[in-house]
Amino acid sequence: MTSETGFDPKLYDRFPTREPRPEGELEELERIWHAPTGWARLTVVNNNFIGTWYVGAAFLFFILAGVLALVMRTQLALPLQGILPQETYNQFFTMHGTVMMFLFAVPAVEALGVLLLPQMLAARDLPFPRLSAYAFWAYLVGGLSFFCSLFFGLAPDGGWFMYPPLTSIAYSPGINADFWLLGIGFIEISAIAGAIEIVVGVLRTRAPGMTLDKMPIFAWAMLVFAVMIIIGFPSIILGTLLLELERALNWPFFDPTRGGDALLWQHLFWFFGHPEVYIIFLPAAGLVSMMVAALARTPLVGYQLIVLALLATGFISFGVWSHHMFVTGMPTLSVSFFSAASMAVSVPAGIQVFSWIATVAVGKPRNNTPTLFLLGGLVTFVIGGLTGVMVALVPFDWQAHDSYFIVAHLHYVLIGGMVFPLFAAFYYWAPMMSRRALSERLGKWVFWLMFAGMQVAFLPMHLTGLMGMPRRVYTYLPGRDWEVTNMISTIGAYMIGLGVLLFVIDLARNFRFTAGDEAGNVYGGGTLEWLPTGLYSTRSIPVVKSREPLWDDPKLSDDVEAGRYFLPNSATGHRETLITSPIRAEPEYLQIMPGPSAWPLFAAIFTAGFFLLLTVQAYNPSIASGVLAVLCVLRWLWETDRPVAKAHADVGAGIILPTYATGPRTHGWWAMTVLLVVIGMIFVMAVFSYLYLYGVHPSFWTSPPDAPWLLPIIGGHAAAAGFALLARRLLARERTTLWTPATLVLIAAGFALFAFAIDWWSWRATGLTGATSGQGATVHAFLALQGILTAIVALMALYLAARNARGIVTRPRNNSMDLTVMFIAYTAAQGTLAALLTRLFPGAI
Amino acid sequence: MRAWLLLLGGLIVWAVHFFGLYIVASVFLTTDTARMLALLVTLACLIADAMLLAAAMRANRAADDGTRRWIASLAALGAAISLVAVIWQGLPALLV
Ligand code: HEM
Repeated sequence: MTSETGFDPKLYDRFPTREPRPEGELEELERIWHAPTGWARLTVVNNNFIGTWYVGAAFLFFILAGVLALVMRTQLALPLQGILPQETYNQFFTMHGTVMMFLFAVPAVEALGVLLLPQMLAARDLPFPRLSAYAFWAYLVGGLSFFCSLFFGLAPDGGWFMYPPLTSIAYSPGINADFWLLGIGFIEISAIAGAIEIVVGVLRTRAPGMTLDKMPIFAWAMLVFAVMIIIGFPSIILGTLLLELERALNWPFFDPTRGGDALLWQHLFWFFGHPEVYIIFLPAAGLVSMMVAALARTPLVGYQLIVLALLATGFISFGVWSHHMFVTGMPTLSVSFFSAASMAVSVPAGIQVFSWIATVAVGKPRNNTPTLFLLGGLVTFVIGGLTGVMVALVPFDWQAHDSYFIVAHLHYVLIGGMVFPLFAAFYYWAPMMSRRALSERLGKWVFWLMFAGMQVAFLPMHLTGLMGMPRRVYTYLPGRDWEVTNMISTIGAYMIGLGVLLFVIDLARNFRFTAGDEAGNVYGGGTLEWLPTGLYSTRSIPVVKSREPLWDDPKLSDDVEAGRYFLPNSATGHRETLITSPIRAEPEYLQIMPGPSAWPLFAAIFTAGFFLLLTVQAYNPSIASGVLAVLCVLRWLWETDRPVAKAHADVGAGIILPTYATGPRTHGWWAMTVLLVVIGMIFVMAVFSYLYLYGVHPSFWTSPPDAPWLLPIIGGHAAAAGFALLARRLLARERTTLWTPATLVLIAAGFALFAFAIDWWSWRATGLTGATSGQGATVHAFLALQGILTAIVALMALYLAARNARGIVTRPRNNSMDLTVMFIAYTAAQGTLAALLTRLFPGAI
Repeated sequence: MRAWLLLLGGLIVWAVHFFGLYIVASVFLTTDTARMLALLVTLACLIADAMLLAAAMRANRAADDGTRRWIASLAALGAAISLVAVIWQGLPALLV
């Protein structure tokens, strides 16, 4: 056998250990992982709690958005109804679509990741528990406030994709659109925080021996999902930022009369928006793959092909964004390329569907609720996939575009591909967190009502659409033959509503949260989440030898529970988990994890406050809230990154691992790298915007500041990066008293500030402002991005100086230091690239 | 890193090819120049895919344990599917 890290795989043979475990280990684990009670429960960070709350919150938003849908369907049941006036209807469909996509679908799957992944990977928790808590609270507080805008008539009304010019200040003068832009921008921060957690969690906290080929499919799906968020979401973050800047400061990114372009928004939106559909679908598909194997009681057919399909979807889905723009008059050749990719992307979905069918055919499925939801979802999703291939054909799309055919298509895909699998998952995994399983009898009612309701509601919509009814209309005239199908659709919608109501009743009757005496493995799954657990997750962390360890080793549960594997105790007296290598999951070091804290909660509340107050234009309170949020984050970080008393610890069977690690193999380094990819993608999309606007409106371009200005700018950035790197080198030298490394980092921050100031000032000197033209707007967008990065650099440098003053910057290497240096180097690189691009292109070329 | 590059190689080639075509069509619109360039990009990517496929199959034969073999065979599948997908993706340059 080969090794990835130098760890000798033969050591695995020491497990399960034979010697009896000392008394009191379990009690200690319980004490360390104990969750606070009473009001302090809100400060809990254990993934069992946060995950369950997270799923619950997402489900709440599903119900809220569902209620909006029912009201809309009531309005459309008959022609010329007066339940919802036009303006309110616009707000309703916008909120319904937005809440379903951003506050239900993405968070729901992310929440399941937080809940299930540590269990499936047999980690004690995800690597950054406080980050999960922050992501959850930010999402809950922000989402609820966003939803409340509806009660004040302030809800956004431009549709879930918010196209300008409709959403520009000229046509949407109120603050409704700002609610969308700031609210969604904010929710994305939460999604990205979750994605970073998931990438690092899946790659670095798997149980020893869980090589890539033994990873549960759900972990693969979540990995691809998180990477897609990291690549895709920056585009919409930039888009919302630009549109908000256009609305607030009159910078014409999307105004063609001044060198902007409305289609730029569509590109930015759909570069995120189409992958978004797969971002929703992939984790659900991962859940299906897990459940279908367990429910059919046979290993998944075509594991490797499914992994390939997940990866392929991740790539190809970024090549299809323009298929939402077939009617915008792109070059014929471009349209054809996008059409080809759109057809190709259905192949991986097909692979998965066939594999599921094969698994069901090979196995022995029983007639139970999760199986029904799986099969129902499959049928529904395939119908949606077929209409999807229809609209991928450009001439057909010209006919169906913006009609009810599209509404039918998108609901088939979303409900079949995500909602039904999610309900299957609720039934399948509820016994993992609940004392009682959900009711099979009620469950079958829930399924049949929802499934039949789905077909009754949405099948006729295809016809309504082909008969010409446009989407997003609040009513229609009688005598167009649309009455019958609309009435049927409304009846179907109420059937779905009834099914969901029954489900809520089932939950209320049977779901009793617990982390200790759960109902257990009702459906006989073979993966690690079905090991017996407490708040500390599993008692010991098993060595994984196959894809379904519980099926292959019937004694595994007992051995794990008796502490015969890794970490049978708390090795250091703190919360901790094993960090393992990304490909072969070889143990590398022991990560010390932070416990409960109120700071992530406060940070989330103030972050939400910052965005909401900004929306209602209360600028000073908003800034105050923002500052408080930053302080809370710093406070929460303050306690982290500190070595513990024991530098090395026995993690079981005499295997000794370090308890503090630095450098490129640490989880912190990985998280920072992922964060920099996010920031880098925002930058790439800004570059795209710049080139795009030049491409469509070159006549608005004026000459940039003289080239010699580049010298001090690039010099400043180089000095910033250089001083930061030097500081990191010097840290390793003992006793550098005169120029402490922290001082060097402060100097580096000073240079970053200098370079930014010169950059900004030299542009101002040319008289070009953000409001002048598309060029002015994008140049100033680059400056704004650089300004934000520079401010963060300053903050990080000060934070590091404070840590240094307190003597908690470890030598010879320190993680806080490393991450600050990485960030400064990145900032310098981005600043240099932006300066070169805006000053040399197109002029010098 | 090498393992990941091998694993994702085929898909990365597909992505490079796709964005190459997108840039070509955006800059040169629906012209003969665009078609020629698209064919050149396609050809280059096909060669890259073929080389990847060969490398993955070699790695598969040389693998001395299950995980390595699994990664190599996934890489080979990825390169093979990329080969087909690149041809498919390039076809519009000839047909449209
Ligand atoms: C549960 C049953 C559901 C019903 C009865 C329903 C009904 C509707 C209705 C009536 C519209 C407005 C159509 C129009 O006026 O153009 C709509 C739009 C939409 N729905 Fe649903 N929906 C349901 C579930 C979902 C789910 C689960 C999702 C996503 C996960 C979703 C996502 C959307 C989106 C994205 C739109 C487009 C909004 C827009 O045009 O801006 N819906 N739905």
